Formats: sequence, structure tokens, C-alpha cells
Amino acid sequence: MSLINHDNAAGEWLETVAAWTLGLLWLLPLLFAVWTAFHPSAYIATFDLFAPLTLENFVTAWKAAPFARYLLNTVVLVTGILIVQFILCTLAAFAFARFDFAGRDILFALVLVQLMVSPDILILENYITIRSLGLVDTLPAIALPYLASAFGIFLLRQTFKSIPKDFEEAARIEGCSTLGVLWRVYIPLGKPIYLAYGLVLVSFHWNNYLWPLIITNSVSTRPLTVGLAIFASPDQGIDWSVICAATLMTSGPLLIAFLLFQRQFVQSFMRAGVR
Amino acid sequence: MAAVTLSNLTKSWSGITAVNDVSLVVPEGQLVALLGPSGCGKSTTLRLIAGLEEPVSGTVMIGGRDVTKLPPSDRRISMVFQSYALFPHLTVAENIIFGLKVRKVARAERDERLKKVADIVELAPYLHRKPGQLSGGQRQRVALARAIIAEQPVCLMDEPLSNLDAQLRHEMRVEIRALQQRLGMTMVYVTHDQTEAMTMADTVVLMRKGQIEQAGPPAELYTRPATSFVASFIGAPAMNLVPEQDDLLGIRPEHIGLGQGPDDAVRRQGNVISVEYMGADTIVSLATPESRISIRLPGASQIRVGDRLTAHWASSAQCRFNARGQRIN
Repeated sequence: MSLINHDNAAGEWLETVAAWTLGLLWLLPLLFAVWTAFHPSAYIATFDLFAPLTLENFVTAWKAAPFARYLLNTVVLVTGILIVQFILCTLAAFAFARFDFAGRDILFALVLVQLMVSPDILILENYITIRSLGLVDTLPAIALPYLASAFGIFLLRQTFKSIPKDFEEAARIEGCSTLGVLWRVYIPLGKPIYLAYGLVLVSFHWNNYLWPLIITNSVSTRPLTVGLAIFASPDQGIDWSVICAATLMTSGPLLIAFLLFQRQFVQSFMRAGVR
Repeated sequence: MAAVTLSNLTKSWSGITAVNDVSLVVPEGQLVALLGPSGCGKSTTLRLIAGLEEPVSGTVMIGGRDVTKLPPSDRRISMVFQSYALFPHLTVAENIIFGLKVRKVARAERDERLKKVADIVELAPYLHRKPGQLSGGQRQRVALARAIIAEQPVCLMDEPLSNLDAQLRHEMRVEIRALQQRLGMTMVYVTHDQTEAMTMADTVVLMRKGQIEQAGPPAELYTRPATSFVASFIGAPAMNLVPEQDDLLGIRPEHIGLGQGPDDAVRRQGNVISVEYMGADTIVSLATPESRISIRLPGASQIRVGDRLTAHWASSAQCRFNARGQRIN
């Protein structure tokens, strides 16, 4: 008995150490950025606990590039994608999960095939399409390739399928129309999945870089990622303190949001898994 | 006036006929129980009335309207599901008034009706809980409340008590029946439990293989079973079926006595294979050459397994079924 306990304790200890090591490793760049951003340039490579703190780097970065505009672009972009994806994926998933129509399974298989195509392969094709639409260098152009998501459809279809049919039937008897059932039964019951998927979606599109870089070329459309990359490019002169300050500013809102929601975030993923 | 009328209703899926040419009249204010073994089509019949399934042929009339083509929401029915189907994301109160909200009943009236119904089913202290925090019996009451608050003329029940323990089931049986009579609801009640059907219903409809085997008041099914299937389904233990030439004789266990009996009595001899003491009475099973015979004896009994006994009954107490199982006397 004591032997087993001992083994468990050792195992747990090892796990804790491993978790902390990995966590710290992951955190290191962020810690470095925080250190650098809050101290004068002279302290980039020297660790001194009593180094003078300063907000000067943030002021410099904020003045040097239109980050406010970039932030606005990103927020509008991410919110737009989130709303449109939720609507499209919900309707598609509902149809796939609960309706019998000719060719449903083939269509769903086609949706799944899309999961296997790496988005980067499509960049050229997407660019040509966007250009023929005359939308190059606009926010809709950044959003357009991402407005429907095979993953979102798949995830929500699975969620809807796991909801007992009795709920739908009860709601119908109580007077709900088809869309009423979706609105009053399926969507509320899928809430944890929506939250989890929403968070993944926000973080993905907040951080998305390659496509926006290619399709935008003006301040009024660039999202934060592209703005930051341009700001940090060598022709601006490299001042790590300022770059780190800018990086923190751009990733800050997302970071704070995740810290606030981390409990729900983890929980919703756990719930999403248990089915 | 008939509240629900089914005419030649048929439902089949890819070759399997679940409901076969069923016609049935449910009079207003009555409780009609659809009874039968699993797979007999009773639940499908209920779902056809509800509009959750579409019949292949036949019509459903509710309150004099042909509703065969109408969606469930337009049929003026309420329904209690076996699983209760309470929405887990809504509180008890929200669950109960779900339908009223969907149908845009004004808030004041909603609250008033909620209060009334919550008192009827004794749920007032639990209105703000989630269904997950309630016991099985309480959930059942919520489902019931949701069905009666709608004030629809017809209420459908799909095995509503099958998830409760025996004690609670008995209580709810009495309660649902009292409620149905008090509110004057027309109720179609699906169950596989003959006790529920016999104790609650005005009319019991026994189904088998998608067809109605017999429909009538509980006492009629018990004393005058139309077929040998009804005889063998109703009663615990069921009616004894004793072969006599090509026919089957049906005798209730309580109509059989031990010993030679009067001169004109029918007799069978056999060995005792089991003695079940039930408290008020004892069921003795006799193995005769052609069949088994259960005998209900009052109180405890000194009979032992292996005893050789003669059983007798009055020929007036027996039903006679022909080779096709139809009663012929």
C-alpha cells in the first residue's frame, strides 16, 4: 500500500516538474518581451532586478506606427468572421445533423475533404479570386476565405447530433418552428462548444498573418499582425525594447481575454470532449 | 364528441409495418391506454397522433379537425415523454412556460398560469432550480406541469412512469389519473405495464404487431378477452391456456380450485412445480401433460413442490379460443 502511494507521489512529482518546465519554456519569450518592454534599451541583455522601469517604449511604439488603426482593423475583422462563421456553420451543421435530403452524405464528405486541404496552398488561387472581385486591400478580402469553416460545421454537427431528439420533439409540440427549435434548443445546448470554438477562432484570426500580409497594402486595412511585422522589419531600425513593447500591445488584449476566460475555456473543451 | 379519431392508420419503414390499419376513437375526457409488448406499435401510434411521424395512409382527427398533414405545433396537443425531455439549460419555471413563451402568451398571463400549475403539481419551491438538481419524481412533475399548462384539449403520454421506482410509480399513477379527471383532459397513455393501463384507463387498447387486438374497459379485457393473446397478456399471472382438442380453454388462476369439485367441473391433474407466496395469496403452478396451470390460493399454503394435485374449475368460468386464437364462447 505504502509502496503504491510512494510510486504515485513520485509520478506526480515528476509530472509537476515536467509541466512547470514546459510551461516556463513556453513562457520564456513572453517573459523576455515583458522584461525588455518595461526597461530602457540598455537592459535588453542584462538582468538587473533593480533596473529602472519605464513606459517610454510603449509611448515610442504607439507614436511610431498607427497601432490604434491596426487594432481597430483586427477587432472588426475578427468580430466579423466570428459572427458570419457562427451563422453559416450553425445553419449548415443543423442541416447536416437533422435533415434528410438527397446527397447529404456526399456533401458532408466534401465539407470534410476541405479539412484536409492546407489553407496556404490556396493563397494564390484566393488572391486571383479576390482580385477578380476587385476587393484587394479591403477587410472583406481578408475575411472572405474564412467565412465558412469545415471544422466549425463538423464540430457543430457532432454537437447537434449528440443532443437527444426528444428535446427537439418536445419543442415542436410546444409550438416551435424548425428555426425556433434551432434557436431555442440546439444553440443553447451547444453553448459550451460555441464558446470553445469561438475562442479558438478568435485566437486563430487574431494571429493570422500570411494571408492578410499578401492581400493588404495600406494602413486602413492592415491587421495588427501585419502592422507589427512591418514595424519590426529591419528597415525601421531595430530597437528591441520598442518592438517588444509593440508586441505586448498587440497581443495584450487577446492575452487578457484568455486569462479572464481561462476557466470557461478549459471547461468547455473538457465538456466538448466528453461525448 | 370524439377528441381523437384514428382511421385506418398505417405506418411502415422500409418494409417493416409498425402500425397496420389502426382505427380508434378516443372520446373526450377519457383516458385511453395503449398497451402492449415492446415493438407492438403503441409508441408509433402515439407519435402518429402527435405528428412526430407521418402515416403512410389513414387519417388522424383531433377535436373534429383533420390534422394528418399538420405539424405537431398546430395539433393542439401536449405531450409527456418517457425521458421527460426537460431542457437542461432552462430552470423549472422556464421549462414549464416554454410553450407559452413560444406561443407569445403575455407575461402576466404566463406568470399566473405558472403559479396555478406549480401549485397543482406541488413544484412551487423548486421553480428556480435546473432539472439536473431534481429527483426523478420531481422531473416527472415538471414534465406533467409543462403538459397541463398548455391547456390543450389532448394530452399524450409516452410511458411517463417507466423511469420511476415502484413506490413513486404507484403515487404518480393515482395522481395523474386524479389530475386527468379533475381537469377533464383527454389523454392517450402509452405503457407496457398492464397495472398502469388497468388501473388508470377508461379504455384499454391492447396492441400486437401493429394492430389492435382488443379495445375496451379494463374489466372487459380481463373477464372477456377477445383472443388468446389478450388472455395471456392481461393478468399477473396471466390467464391459463389449457388445450382441449383444437381449442384452447382460458381460465383465470383465481377461478381454479383444488380437489375434485362438483360433478360438472372440468379437471386436470399435475405435479406442483412452484409455490410462490405473495402475502395475500399464493400462486401454485401445476405441470399437467398438456400445459402449465397457475392457481391462485388465498393466504399461505401447505402445498410443497412435487405434490400431485387435481385442479378443477366450473366450465362457466372458462373462455374458449379456436385454433386462430379467437374467443368462440
